[in-house]
Amino acid sequence: MNSSVMVWPADPRSTGVEIRRGRSLLSGVENGPDLQSHLRHHGPLPTLGLDELVGRTRGSALLGRGGAGFPFAVKLEATTKSRGKPSVVVNLAEGEPASWKDSALSMVAPHLVLDGASITAAALGAAEVHVVLPGDRSAVRLQLKAAIDERTERFSTAVADVAFVAGQAAAVVELLSGRENRPVTSWEPAAVRGLRNKPTLLSNAETFAHVALIARGVGASTTLLTIDGDSSRPLVREVRLGKPWRKVLRRDQLDGPVLLGGYHGTWAAPGALRSLTVSRDSMGAAGLALGAGIVLTGDRCPLDRAAEIATYLASESAGRCGPCVNGLPRLAAALRDAARGLGGTTEIERLAGLVERRGACAHPDGTARMARSLVTSYAFELREHQRGRCCFALGEPRKAG
Amino acid sequence: MKRQLRVDWPVCKARGLCFELLPEAVSLDEWGYPIIAKEISPDLVTAAREAVRACPTLALRLVEARG
Amino acid sequence: MPDGPLLWFVNRGSGFALLAVLSLTVLLGVIARGGRAGGLVPGFVLQSLHRSTSLLGVSLLGVHVLTAVADEFVDIRWWDAVLPLGAEYEPLWLGLGALSLDLALAVVVTSLLRTRIGHETWRVVHVLAYAAWTVGVVHGLGIGTDTGEPWAAAVYLGSVVVVGTAGLIRLDALRTPTPHGPSEVRR
Repeated sequence: MNSSVMVWPADPRSTGVEIRRGRSLLSGVENGPDLQSHLRHHGPLPTLGLDELVGRTRGSALLGRGGAGFPFAVKLEATTKSRGKPSVVVNLAEGEPASWKDSALSMVAPHLVLDGASITAAALGAAEVHVVLPGDRSAVRLQLKAAIDERTERFSTAVADVAFVAGQAAAVVELLSGRENRPVTSWEPAAVRGLRNKPTLLSNAETFAHVALIARGVGASTTLLTIDGDSSRPLVREVRLGKPWRKVLRRDQLDGPVLLGGYHGTWAAPGALRSLTVSRDSMGAAGLALGAGIVLTGDRCPLDRAAEIATYLASESAGRCGPCVNGLPRLAAALRDAARGLGGTTEIERLAGLVERRGACAHPDGTARMARSLVTSYAFELREHQRGRCCFALGEPRKAG
Repeated sequence: MKRQLRVDWPVCKARGLCFELLPEAVSLDEWGYPIIAKEISPDLVTAAREAVRACPTLALRLVEARG
Repeated sequence: MPDGPLLWFVNRGSGFALLAVLSLTVLLGVIARGGRAGGLVPGFVLQSLHRSTSLLGVSLLGVHVLTAVADEFVDIRWWDAVLPLGAEYEPLWLGLGALSLDLALAVVVTSLLRTRIGHETWRVVHVLAYAAWTVGVVHGLGIGTDTGEPWAAAVYLGSVVVVGTAGLIRLDALRTPTPHGPSEVRR
């Protein structure tokens, strides 16, 4: 355990989250999250001009870590092209309940996140920096506010609702605008017109942590993963991009069903990850997505799991868009039917097609993606269920082919 | 210029006027919400503008197609 | 200037006519609002009917105001039609009429500029239509010389029933949120 630290981002009665020391973002975390330890380990806060920041983040090919993987340098440039004084928003809402990486970062390395935001704000000449905190993780809020107090720069904080879609970009801007923390239609990206109709650079907390290292010239191509199985406590690990999955997950995890990217992610067939690496290209080629780095392993039947997840996602609809409000519960019902062997995949695919791109945010798209990937990766199991057999219930999960 | 009709989904209340006025490019799903064709051809632009103006909640926009 | 009571007759007649027409307009508006595709009458037809009757009603309103101002028998200046205070003739009832006109004008102008001002602003002002109607009815009852007549009572009663029905339909619609989720589908 001396390669890990334990934190309780939710509350002390929760199981806690294990954070393994890493080579970059999670290096030096054993020294404590305070500002002095941070400066001693990482060095002083650098100041970069805008062109230099763009150049370095472009050179490092920094992609957003919130799930969409948008190039940071492109977002940075877009923010400068529009009229109005820009603002910077750190998205630490982490609305997905299975994701712990941003919360972990706040607990053990908050100053990396704040450094990145500060550097970006200085380069942009931004008027305000907002940090949006999770509503259901009090320790994260406390730790981050304590870190803010240690610093001289001004940060505003806001607390997101406890809702799956509360962390969505437009929803966050709504929250900061004093309106309900739910998605609205975004006709232009926030970088062009966001908070108070001014350019807004909104990025995930981990993304800003990477900026803090890239600005110091020590950025390495790593990413944070939250690995969670059914029984153990969640683990947050920093992994080098391009690392083979077989060096990240245990054998039993690799050979079981894996949902990559969280509840909006993609199902990997048993053993599919054995030949893949932790990278967008490697996984994209196999029809899988890294998303926000959530890796859900376990030995429960993936059809049951998918139906449960879809049922949860349907209940988490903001209730604002017709296709989502109506379509997701029916998609969840279709998945439940398939898990019970009562229905085929036609209805799943029909409903997935009906909800995709027909909402203000990507909630229906993500749910559809998860459902479609189940049909792709677990077609055999779906047929078996129709014949009244569940490999997992029988204790005979399909061997990796 | 390629054009697209886009829906402001939280604002759309499934009144269906867009379908009534532009059935060539709009159909309705089983809950009454519009399914819009990928692109609005030049001959449909006038009718599309009419549909945009007729929408009771102003949920429809005619924009330049992207991606 | 036409003499005799012609202007007065037209003023009274147009008053009742506009009340009937605009009451129908309110009902059509409420029915249009509750519509979904596949109903008995297409949405764009109901929308068009609502707009047409409102246009007719506003035209009658114009005639009503013009004849009041032009009639030399009573001292109504043109600004008394839009300013709720300061009239010489029947200042209270005429003032209410001016208020009703102002509210109606706000509704009409915002509707003409609907696409420019956005849906939310339009909607907030459009609700004033109920106020315009109510104030107009009170104006008519108070200032009208026909108020005691049975036929006049019938028109007032009919208008109240029509707009009352519209109001009840509208209030009932408030209880149902849209979008309707799967457990609340109304077909």
